[in-house]
Amino acid sequence: MIKQLEVDGVPALLAPVTGTTHAGLVFRVGLADEPPARRGITHLIQHLVLDGHRNGRVGAEHTYFHVQGSAERIAEFVTGVCAALRRLPTDRIDAEKKVLRSEDQPVGPLPTRRHGARDFGMAGYPEWGLAGLGAEHLNEWIARYFTRENAVLWVAGDAVPQGLALDLAEGERQPPPAPSAALAATPAWFAGPGEEVAWDTVVRREARAAVFANVLERRLHRDLCLRSEIAARVGTEYQPRAGRTARITAVAEPLPERAGAALGGTIDALAEMRAGRIEPDDVATVVELTCRGLREAERKGGRLPGQAFNVLAGLSVRSLDDAVTEASAVTVAEVAAVAATAYEAGLLMTPAGTSADWGGYPAASLPSSPISGRTLRARGNRSLRLVYSDEGVTVVGGGTVLYDTCAALLVGPDGSRELVGEDGAAVRVDPAAFRGGAALIEQIDARVPARVRVDLRSAESEADITDAR
Amino acid sequence: MLRAMLPRQPVLDPAVAYPTIATLRAALDAGDWPAARAVIDTAAPVERTLLLRACADREGTEEFLRGVLTADPADSAAAVLLAQRLMAVSWAARVRRKRGTPFREQLVEAESILVASVSRTPEDLAAWTARLTSARGLELGLPEARRRYDRLAELDACHLPAQSELLQQLTPRWGGTWPDAHTFARAATDAAPLGSHNAVLIAEAHLEQALGEGGGTASGARRHLASTPVLAEVSEAAARSVQHPEFRRTAGWVQVLNTFAMTFCLAGELRTAKTLFDALDGLGTEYPWHYLGDSAAGVIRSYRIRTVFTRGAPVGGDR
Repeated sequence: MIKQLEVDGVPALLAPVTGTTHAGLVFRVGLADEPPARRGITHLIQHLVLDGHRNGRVGAEHTYFHVQGSAERIAEFVTGVCAALRRLPTDRIDAEKKVLRSEDQPVGPLPTRRHGARDFGMAGYPEWGLAGLGAEHLNEWIARYFTRENAVLWVAGDAVPQGLALDLAEGERQPPPAPSAALAATPAWFAGPGEEVAWDTVVRREARAAVFANVLERRLHRDLCLRSEIAARVGTEYQPRAGRTARITAVAEPLPERAGAALGGTIDALAEMRAGRIEPDDVATVVELTCRGLREAERKGGRLPGQAFNVLAGLSVRSLDDAVTEASAVTVAEVAAVAATAYEAGLLMTPAGTSADWGGYPAASLPSSPISGRTLRARGNRSLRLVYSDEGVTVVGGGTVLYDTCAALLVGPDGSRELVGEDGAAVRVDPAAFRGGAALIEQIDARVPARVRVDLRSAESEADITDAR
Repeated sequence: MLRAMLPRQPVLDPAVAYPTIATLRAALDAGDWPAARAVIDTAAPVERTLLLRACADREGTEEFLRGVLTADPADSAAAVLLAQRLMAVSWAARVRRKRGTPFREQLVEAESILVASVSRTPEDLAAWTARLTSARGLELGLPEARRRYDRLAELDACHLPAQSELLQQLTPRWGGTWPDAHTFARAATDAAPLGSHNAVLIAEAHLEQALGEGGGTASGARRHLASTPVLAEVSEAAARSVQHPEFRRTAGWVQVLNTFAMTFCLAGELRTAKTLFDALDGLGTEYPWHYLGDSAAGVIRSYRIRTVFTRGAPVGGDR
């Protein structure tokens, strides 16, 4: 049974547990809130606050700090997190940036293809903001997001530990960002950078969708790992979002030379589930595992983070009984219905050099239309051409970025400029590669606002200096 | 007098050996889908797969079949017929090497139709067989073809039309190796009962290798086919299929006999070839004779003439 109370003006959830007590402090801020030129700011704050401890996580919409142990340990940790947010240890900024650079692993291009260079697409980009971030940016970010009104505490134990104090600045509850759509239409496919096959979709957030995600995983495992030896690993993930939608992802990592079969098997599995071919045994097993998992989570306090996210989203806390009742009522027909809507909203990433046009998927396309204006030809590459005007730049046969909707301008160590549009389109201008490239770069620098500029040269020189020490 | 003794031009139209094809063609030409389904639905599995492919030459059936499929997207027979028709158009365009012909476009449409069809009716052997052909055309690679075959083999481990398709994919031309091809042919032969058609895969594999390594000519092919172990293996394959008392003239038998006949002709085993020609009684097939000339009928006739003048046990003088 989850109790709702308040600690120092912060909503708190308390539930008794069997086993280790633990607690967490969650804020309604994540990658999806970061502008491209500030990408990485939340992660940097999390690192500075934790001073090398790994008990924190930055997700798309939430950032949390969590701890296991005695009441004293919990009180000390949570109180310490708040104190560090009040007085950020800015002397460690450079050291933590270095740590982050070594950790940075973008999640692949699916989010950016679906959402663009904004909100839920930001997970697909590297932490571009690191180089330009100073103490003043971090404190501004904290003042906006790491506040009493934008936090929820959870405690898995018998009582809120003595001495736990939440000394946070006052602020406002920050609503979750709304997911943008960059794709002209779905379903759609695009070729990814490696061997991996990946797929994602967005559906309504409900128990049947979570069951579908798990049934899909069982199906992919059967088709790609058991029936034929195609994939080394398959997996799906169900990620609920505050805005009552959920993202479902599926990934198949092919065995060497088997990428084509991994793609074929994934296309067939998705098509068959869409057509309503759902194994009743899979649904029964997943429902049973889900209910068992919910009860187990309730005993250990594992439902608390999710319920804390609900409170931050203005939703009510769900009881275990409600959750179990909803999950156990999921039928094969309902899973089939989710499969059909999931298919329609699907975005499929194929292995590099392959296509999914034969599987009934149109190519993913952006809604932007090319610029007409002056043409620049690349030296020694007749097929590479840029067209630009006062409005923006187009790569012929590629993307278009308008200056008005430019999300990021990346300045490379070689003097190149890469424009990234809000829709995720990218246009790279290398002054050495194009006749007249220098003039275009002057125009780009003049037209693109400084706030979206990301100087990758400083990132590199900083890294050099740090390495040299 | 001598002229009258010589073999007639062989008949390549499969409808002569299988009148069911003629019935299905007539139903399709008349736009009578219930009549077409009546023919298709009463056919045995291999016959059904071959029937749905045999009508791919019916020009102008695309629109009719699209209409059938729109009215009932779950009609997998219509889906396979349409896909086979689109693939035939596509392969023909490739053979003619016409510039600007939508070779890939029709293959993509065919495959999309098949993906949707097997998603509803995954137990359709003819659809999976067609997807082995489209996988080659789209160059989806051997592992994907193998996956498709594995799905089919779960339903029927001895479906010869699909096995022939996979065998093609297993040759070096489509990303495989000769040992892969022979291993598969032997395993499929061993898994099938004595007297069944499947042993023809052994002849097909050797014929493909002989032609592939021999520059596509009859004289080049002989080197491989006349070697003692190859001839022994092909002879054993004939003994357990076309020469076996349990061999039945079910759908596909004409091509099985023709494949062995050509293999024995190229190996110089004209006496064995003659018994097969006699059994065929003028029935020929495009495959595999088309490898030796544009007119398969002409090629068959010229080889048959040679066997007529063959006497006694394997003719040394012919080697």
